[in-house]
Amino acid sequence: MNLLDPIFIGQLVIGGLLAGALYALLACGLNMVFGVMRVINVAHAEFMLVGSFAAYVLYRYLHVHPFVSVVIAAVLLYGLGFLLQRYLVERVVNRSLLTSLLLTYGMSIVLMNSGLLIFSSDFRSVPVLQGSFVAGPFIIPQSRAAAALVSLAVTVAVYWFLKRSRLGKAVRAVSEHAEVAMLCGIDVVRIRMFTFGLAAAMAAVAGVMLSMIYSFSPDTGPDFITKCFAIMVIGGMGNFLGAFYGGLLLGVVEALVGGFVTTQWAQAMSYLLLVLVLVVRPTGLKGARLAK
Amino acid sequence: MKRAFLIAVLSVVAWLGIGIASAAPPLKVGASVALTGKYSRTGQEQLNGIKMWVQDVNARGGILGRKVDLVYYDDESKPDTGAKLYEKLITDDKVDLLLGPYSSGVTLAASTVAEKHGFPMVSSGASSTKIWSRGYKNVFGLYTPGTTYMNQILHFAKSKGLKTVALIYADTAFPRNVAKGVKVTAKKLGLKIVFEEEYGKATTDFAAMIQKMRRLKPDVVIGGSYLPDSTAFIRQAKENRLYAKIFAFAVGPGLPDFGKNLGSDAEDVMGNTQWEPTLNIPGAKDFATRYKEKYGHEPGYHAAGGYGAGQVLEAAVKKAGSINHAALRRALLHLNTVTIFGRYKVDKTGMQIGKPGYTVQWQGGERYVVLPKDVAVKPVVYPFKPWSGR
Repeated sequence: MNLLDPIFIGQLVIGGLLAGALYALLACGLNMVFGVMRVINVAHAEFMLVGSFAAYVLYRYLHVHPFVSVVIAAVLLYGLGFLLQRYLVERVVNRSLLTSLLLTYGMSIVLMNSGLLIFSSDFRSVPVLQGSFVAGPFIIPQSRAAAALVSLAVTVAVYWFLKRSRLGKAVRAVSEHAEVAMLCGIDVVRIRMFTFGLAAAMAAVAGVMLSMIYSFSPDTGPDFITKCFAIMVIGGMGNFLGAFYGGLLLGVVEALVGGFVTTQWAQAMSYLLLVLVLVVRPTGLKGARLAK
Repeated sequence: MKRAFLIAVLSVVAWLGIGIASAAPPLKVGASVALTGKYSRTGQEQLNGIKMWVQDVNARGGILGRKVDLVYYDDESKPDTGAKLYEKLITDDKVDLLLGPYSSGVTLAASTVAEKHGFPMVSSGASSTKIWSRGYKNVFGLYTPGTTYMNQILHFAKSKGLKTVALIYADTAFPRNVAKGVKVTAKKLGLKIVFEEEYGKATTDFAAMIQKMRRLKPDVVIGGSYLPDSTAFIRQAKENRLYAKIFAFAVGPGLPDFGKNLGSDAEDVMGNTQWEPTLNIPGAKDFATRYKEKYGHEPGYHAAGGYGAGQVLEAAVKKAGSINHAALRRALLHLNTVTIFGRYKVDKTGMQIGKPGYTVQWQGGERYVVLPKDVAVKPVVYPFKPWSGR
């Protein structure tokens, strides 16, 4: 079997980019939260699953198409994230990393078990956009193409927002130096609430898209969160573009390794890449050259 | 005189009180169950079956005149958690009887703990022959061994003149055992395994694997799997347009969820089953009806296995006349009985030899027994309907 068949490689790369776009969306949100408040939100994957279950419930009982659920879930999770930040996360923002990890870990446990209580551990999915379309010699699954497009759109939109809008600049200011931002008259506390809500909304979008691709249950969070952490470090902690490229990179690397070696090695790639980056360039692909 | 009378009355009352309190304390039956993690769906089914048995046996007055009390914990589908829990059940909760967990992986670990304490354990939910090849004396299985799971399907493939097989399996005890059996049988039948890959238990993305398989155009695709991975694989096989004349998976197709989650994509997928409600086993239909009433869906074989394990335990304790470990062990070794799950008869290692396995196929949104021919409810639909025609 000639593995150097360009169509084979091309197919793998396409699959990897599609998967990577989804990873990027998740990781960018997580990264943004870290950047702004130095909090690692372990519950990020559970936010994503809330989005997935929202899509499931809306589809199953109200026959709402996932493309509509995306908006609903995003708004819902923005609200949830905002409130969680205001009442819980804000308390640990200026404390040690361990404290915030404990809090978000606790949040993830509560969310996961609430999910298990309500939905049980059955695997669900939203059977929309099944099947694939053909582009030349390549096969592109519909659900993954949709997920990639939506993820890209949202990530690019958020990036532009951070770059160009006043509010976005305020967010970046807080992430760079919260005290100076405060001196400039920025309401740092509100910015944090907003950012957390936005990240949760991004996770929700990822979750809704995911519901069409994979089967999920309340305890599938850990499968994704570890990849997100790896991407964050690989891309450079706190760096939005870094997380984006890191996500795409991981997707492609996983696909290529899965194709040339085995799927098991592909699973290990997130950790191997993580170690590699830490050894070669500890601040990440796009991280600052000097440590802060 | 009055004081003596008072003492007499008090001692009678006390004696009566102690008598009532010690009249038949409940029999504690311990088990760990996968309530979370990859095996949670099947673990829950098994637990449902066990709970139904506990209810039924208590309605009959219990075992040896004692009510049965079920003590169970969540082993999270993890072998090391299971081992810790069985240690706790034996030494801390001091259970009287043991039932095994779900999955060969967790059972391998749990049975080591049981063996260490010389505590006999009745296991449904595990089929890997590795469990019974360690010289242990305390594990007694209900499931037909995993190495036989795909035999009927492979024989069927051979009868249709098929030649090549793509084999995938998860990296845990049971799937590896199924794969081992597939390799042995395929070799015997002259079928060539053109693709073989092991995947991690947590894998959700099979796209790369499917790409590789497509290039090889296998006649048969066989998976040593559980429910989440077999579901994901079929869905992604459709997305990536992988076609084969036979698709067969372990565990997944035996559950109602498979058809529910995949809809028309489950059509024509074959799988193994240890038990079906339509089989001509005394009590099976009644169990299925009552299970559906109680839990709202049809039982899969994992639930029946849980119930059957309870029945075996009950029969063995009755046969031994006590819960003494040595007596119970002997009883379980020599017991030959029929439960709603089928016949229970083990060889000298405790492995099940009295019960056959069966093959199911999804047709028209329902699961039917298609092999062996003499118990088939419907004939096999062959070949697999192309994806584009669904």
